[in-house]
Amino acid sequence: MSDLVKTIADVEFGAELPAFQPDTGLDNVKRFGKHVGWDSPRFTDHEAARKEGFPAALVPGVMSQGYLGAMIHRWAPAAEIVEIDTVFRAPVLVDQPHSVVGVVTDVDEDTGTAEIDITITNAAQETRVFGTAKVRLPTG
Amino acid sequence: MLRSSEDFARPLVLNKRAFKANIAVCDGNLQPGSSLDDDILALREEYLGREFDEITFAIDGGRFSEYARACGEQDPRFTDAAHPDFQAPPTYVSTLIGGRSRPDGFPQLSGVGMDAGKGVQWMAPIRDGATLTGKSHLHDIYVKTGRSGRMIFLVARMELYDEHGTHVANADTRTVIRERPSE
Repeated sequence: MSDLVKTIADVEFGAELPAFQPDTGLDNVKRFGKHVGWDSPRFTDHEAARKEGFPAALVPGVMSQGYLGAMIHRWAPAAEIVEIDTVFRAPVLVDQPHSVVGVVTDVDEDTGTAEIDITITNAAQETRVFGTAKVRLPTG
Repeated sequence: MLRSSEDFARPLVLNKRAFKANIAVCDGNLQPGSSLDDDILALREEYLGREFDEITFAIDGGRFSEYARACGEQDPRFTDAAHPDFQAPPTYVSTLIGGRSRPDGFPQLSGVGMDAGKGVQWMAPIRDGATLTGKSHLHDIYVKTGRSGRMIFLVARMELYDEHGTHVANADTRTVIRERPSE
């Protein structure tokens, strides 16, 4: 399978989506907070987050969900994400490297849909966020 | 392609057989490991499906394109206002927050509450300049019991409609409340 998926025929059951390293840097999270609205100190200030008992500032959950969507669109630019469900299992920490990965768990060529298990892991390979997505792709 | 809002409008079903087996049923999907204690069953019967909030959102392409870029989107349909198919990434609706999170009269659950997850069902593109109406209800209430006690999950669903009444998306927020051990 080529790296870039254009139609449902390009999708193989069990295929791994190219891993994506999201920008968890403090500047990016601050910019997200400024423009989108998640600007609480627990997201934008490591020291303030530690005072709340966290090991460091946190990437907002809605931003983590956005990373998952971005990974799918990088893999298949024509994909429409029709459903995505994410579970916030543990914090994604700001300024820590993380990886977003996915694997195709179902393909329906008749409807042009595929299901994908999606995960965000940290450098220790610990799962921080996981979920599933259903995408629709052109059939021809 | 638009999805029918009826796809997501199936009524909540309390399956009595599943109840006996301590399994909650929502939209026909089993919640593995969950249970329906009497207090939770009462909450479900009283509050599920009851609309408790309505709010309007003016959709700003500048805001959703910043969201897209910060999340790592590269497709210009999400980042470039000049693109002919410029639209919000599907997950953007998770950032739209209602005025209230619980219905009137919903009991104060004692314990530590946390954001446990987000879900989105996308049916149609959301464009710059659109005005959306969000209508919220509790979509599911269930419990998982572990060694440290019960965890109560509340799923609030905001149904989003455009100015023409088209159902464009659902945004679910799952909150978990970990009951204190003494309770």
